[in-house]
Amino acid sequence: MIKIDLSKCTGCRRCETACSFFHTGKINRNLSRIKVIQLYEKGIDGPVTCVQCKERYCLPCPVNALSIGSFGQIIVSPTVCILCGKCERECPIGAIEIFDGIVFVCDLCGGDPKCVKACTEGAITYIPDNEHLSLSEIKKETEDMTPDEKRDNYIKKLGAALRKKWVR
Amino acid sequence: MGEMMLEYGYGGKILRIDLTEEKFHIEKMKKSWIKNVIGGRAANTKRLLEEIDPSCNPLGSENILIFGIGPLTGSILPASAYHIVTSKSPLTGILGDSAAGGQFGAEMKLTGFDQIIIKGRSEDLIYLMITEDGSEFVKCPEYRGRSILEVTEAIRKKQRNHSIQVAAIGPAGENLVLFSTIVSSGNRVNGRTGMGAVIGSKNLKAIAVRGSRSLKIKDPMAFFSEIKKIEKAILNHNEYNKRYRMGTTMLMKDLNRIGILPTNHFQKGACSYLDNISGERLEENYKVKNKACFNCNLHCSRYYICNDHEGEGPEFEMLCSFTSRIGNSDLSFALEMTEYLNQMGLDAISTGEIIGWIMECEEKGLISPEEIGVNISWGEKDKIREIVKKIVYREGIGDALAKGAKKFSERFSKEAQKLVMHVKGLDIICGDPRGIKAYGLTYAISSRGADHLRAEPYFELTDRREEAKRRFGTEKAADRLSEEGKAALVTYSEKISLLCDSMTMCKNIGLCMDILNFENVSLLLKTCTGMSYTPEYLQKIMGECINRDRVLNKKFGLNSEDDTLPERFLKEPLSEGPTKGSIVDIKRMINEYYKLHGWK
Repeated sequence: MIKIDLSKCTGCRRCETACSFFHTGKINRNLSRIKVIQLYEKGIDGPVTCVQCKERYCLPCPVNALSIGSFGQIIVSPTVCILCGKCERECPIGAIEIFDGIVFVCDLCGGDPKCVKACTEGAITYIPDNEHLSLSEIKKETEDMTPDEKRDNYIKKLGAALRKKWVR
Repeated sequence: MGEMMLEYGYGGKILRIDLTEEKFHIEKMKKSWIKNVIGGRAANTKRLLEEIDPSCNPLGSENILIFGIGPLTGSILPASAYHIVTSKSPLTGILGDSAAGGQFGAEMKLTGFDQIIIKGRSEDLIYLMITEDGSEFVKCPEYRGRSILEVTEAIRKKQRNHSIQVAAIGPAGENLVLFSTIVSSGNRVNGRTGMGAVIGSKNLKAIAVRGSRSLKIKDPMAFFSEIKKIEKAILNHNEYNKRYRMGTTMLMKDLNRIGILPTNHFQKGACSYLDNISGERLEENYKVKNKACFNCNLHCSRYYICNDHEGEGPEFEMLCSFTSRIGNSDLSFALEMTEYLNQMGLDAISTGEIIGWIMECEEKGLISPEEIGVNISWGEKDKIREIVKKIVYREGIGDALAKGAKKFSERFSKEAQKLVMHVKGLDIICGDPRGIKAYGLTYAISSRGADHLRAEPYFELTDRREEAKRRFGTEKAADRLSEEGKAALVTYSEKISLLCDSMTMCKNIGLCMDILNFENVSLLLKTCTGMSYTPEYLQKIMGECINRDRVLNKKFGLNSEDDTLPERFLKEPLSEGPTKGSIVDIKRMINEYYKLHGWK
């Protein structure tokens, strides 16, 4: 899985641009499968992407367009998908999102994630076959949130723990 | 034949906003208009020259305010996130502009607007919510008096979108303090020439941007390979580690060592308590992490927490302005002021200058404390706090101080007026020109008034004598105390600086770290935009743009006598330290500089 170390993230968003550019040749946050949240008032920055969670909240799809790939990544079939938005609603951290008629979710770049390479700070690492994170606690509080609000909520949670280390 | 579309690099559109009418209008950006100015600062100046009535009141509804970005802004080029704000300056009455990094420019790119041109004045306090479809005019009386961060977070929350980037003014801008700022990404400042007051005069509290259009690259693979070279050059640079650790605050020690760190308002060039206020001390005691502008691999910005005060920064100018320049040896107080100035929206350099000037004038008996109701000497924290607050809210003497040091000084003696460290009404940065001659020339010729960033001839501090001979015809160009070769250095650097501000890129990287040159910029522009650029062509058009600044300033009433330095730097040598005995022969450098430009 992709692991994030918030204490090392500077908010440069190189992971975002690398993801977007590698997948599409263009630069656009909306085309990126990893998105950085910046909490200016707290000094916290952190990228949010699919963590291949234990629960796989997105997976139960009404038309079975989603499956799990050999790296544990979520695969969306564009021909089967009807863009109902259920996966986007279910993900508790806003890591799967529809833009311009396409479902965007981390595909782990075939086992060699470009965001990890783009990060010069070591804030993003990829550990294959790692134990998968549970998002059940976060899930409880994210109803009715937009993907953007869910990302913000997630980073606020992680950031609060880091702030405790800073302000002793 | 129709104009070719600007499909690559550029957004290709201009957003015009009339606040009086509450209307917006979208135009195409013409390729023929933009090509020879590239974008950013050079494009903004061209627009200002074409559209402004030079005699207009800078704080009147007829003044126009332009947000501009360039073809590389928000691309995969490191540190390309700069946006430039341009207007007629209320502080100086001439060309005003200021650049800021962070995230705003990158998001503006996704709206598809290369320029946002704002005129008129809103009846109610509003903010603009700009997307690719245009602008909403959102009333926000509840934001009056709010800090930058409060407004930024309030807008993001209200719009239910945390990707929105906000450029806002604080209370100082609302109160039309003539050296007030615009701040985006929480702490990223368009600091100089009072752009905050222009926004305030239009009854505008903030400009929010959110886009979803893609930035397209003409030749992605070729562009990518140029980017890789630049990234490598940054990572392998001999200053990388130092800049990563301290950002520009590394200059505290560097400048003190060579005796040019403004101390007690330029009366001295070094201070005895440097270790208490250095970049090293800041890193050790208060830095909690590195921060970065959009897509930068240097990450030279930092986040500090100090008692109840925190934020991104400070950079060197802020730190020096509130330590040695005004005789303060307490770093934690400087950090408290960093937070206060950034959140209230006040320019650190101009604020530091007016405080330092009062301190020196009172010390010398040129102003009596009774005259201004303030009795203040070096490093008196409570009084500094009080003065700054009075400026922000224009209370008591603060109302007059809000006009800036030069205008405020006009009611006092000639002797007192001479001590204002300014050129063309803009206060001088923290670097004593007596020990950095090319910087002295830059302050004198800068088209926005005393400022180093128009050329940032950092080269003269890097001791590369052979390279100096090769580039500028004399080894002396690398000798900080010599006037020789400095005109050549400045005419080179000012073009690279303008390229940085126009394409856009951070000048610390592009210029100070000597990463950009006409060759690699022409390749970057070509592979990104698909338009043809050669190194020779770039040199030519940058020269034309620098001429354009001068034409515009002439319309604003400037002439060549204004290209000079305060008398102190021309006549009074420093009495101690490594810059002892040196003064600036500005006439000689100016003459050579004019000659190189073909000016009279």
